[in-house]
Amino acid sequence: MNRTVAIVFLLAASAMAGDLTGKWSGTFKVDGGDHTIPQVFILKQQGKTLTGSGGPSAGEQYPIENGKIDGDEVRFEITTGEWKFAYDLKQTAPDGLKGDLKLQSVNDSRNAKVSLTRSKGE
Amino acid sequence: MMVLGVTGSIIAFEPELDRLLHPGLSRVKPGGRILSLVEIGEAASKKYGGEPVVAYLPSSSPNFPTQVILSPGVVSVNQYTGEVLGIRTRGQTLLGFMRALHVRLASGDIGRNILRWSTAAMLISLASGLYLWWPRKRMRIRGPWWSRLFWSDLHNSFGILSLLPLLLLTATGMVIGFEDGVSSLLDKMSGDHPVQLPQIRIRLEPAPSHPEITPDEAITIAGAQLPGAVPYRLQMPRYGGLYVVALAYSDHRIAAESNSISIDPSDGRIVAVNLSTSLTPRERFMATNEAIHTGSVFGMPTRIIAALASILLPLQVVSGLLIWMRRTRILGK
Repeated sequence: MNRTVAIVFLLAASAMAGDLTGKWSGTFKVDGGDHTIPQVFILKQQGKTLTGSGGPSAGEQYPIENGKIDGDEVRFEITTGEWKFAYDLKQTAPDGLKGDLKLQSVNDSRNAKVSLTRSKGE
Repeated sequence: MMVLGVTGSIIAFEPELDRLLHPGLSRVKPGGRILSLVEIGEAASKKYGGEPVVAYLPSSSPNFPTQVILSPGVVSVNQYTGEVLGIRTRGQTLLGFMRALHVRLASGDIGRNILRWSTAAMLISLASGLYLWWPRKRMRIRGPWWSRLFWSDLHNSFGILSLLPLLLLTATGMVIGFEDGVSSLLDKMSGDHPVQLPQIRIRLEPAPSHPEITPDEAITIAGAQLPGAVPYRLQMPRYGGLYVVALAYSDHRIAAESNSISIDPSDGRIVAVNLSTSLTPRERFMATNEAIHTGSVFGMPTRIIAALASILLPLQVVSGLLIWMRRTRILGK
């Protein structure tokens, strides 16, 4: 019985930490901000490395920097110009990523919560 | 109100204070040939581990350096010698904290909501102050500083002097505080919808066979489209797919910086042009509102008025509180 539970648990865990390659979308709202900002990512996973691009739309994309995957933890950055976006996410489901976003300029620092889902058919 | 007044008077001069706080990164001695953006970018990139250039901020004055945005921060480069003056890394600074206090009490949604409703309360307070001042129309200060008469006169005199700028600052601040609601209301009234930006593709790798146009050529192409406008920012194609040159008209007070030209890096073709003259009514209203709030609407004179009015706000709060306390004490006796 215990062995079955352990196998089920391991299978579930491996499914959760599945390949992130694909198109992901979602939103974030900066704490204390007015707007909900859309997010679109085109992720490419190669082992523990994450590359690709992301931005507010499929048309406006910026390269992913320092993309790393460690188990169900996913970290990457995007620099759009004055602002740098540092994502610290967790894979909560095979098609779901949730976590924190830190935005930093040379004067300011802001925090936000992000939630992303994998686009169907990607 | 105390926080809004003190921080408002400080951030009214944010660019000047920022330069004052970073003197080594903010000043250059003019002289000699101005280096190309490519040369400036290479100097910055070489100094910081070969980081690719995200964007350039060309110098706005012969005495100010050209700035290069890299992923770790903003690098100041002497455009005459190529000397790298240093880097501003990312993170909150004292001035950033002042701004954060002003717009959201340096906290999140709670601070933001407290401030937006404080502006509403302040409008009521200003109107009631005018109502109380009107019958006597006091404009002089009498009595020793510790007397109730002194503080009452001070409150009345400074209150009426700063009433108009404070009304404008409060009303425009309220619009900024409730920006989402105001924007959607204006869009409904004018029948406008958010502008769809041109669809562009990211280019993670350098151009294929033929050489791309250089950042300097992109600036020249954009400048030719808007004679008289000064380029103040250039986004590199790796960060968005196109060169995006932002230009400002120094003689425009409202939305002066809302001009941008997107250029295909492979052939120099202009892909999109966004001009301050083609803003929607909502965008123009919000830009005008911001120009009034920051005092930039008529340049330095209105910035000084905005800062002075802001600094008078804490004085009004303190003098009003003293009058109220002394009145309460007298009534108690």
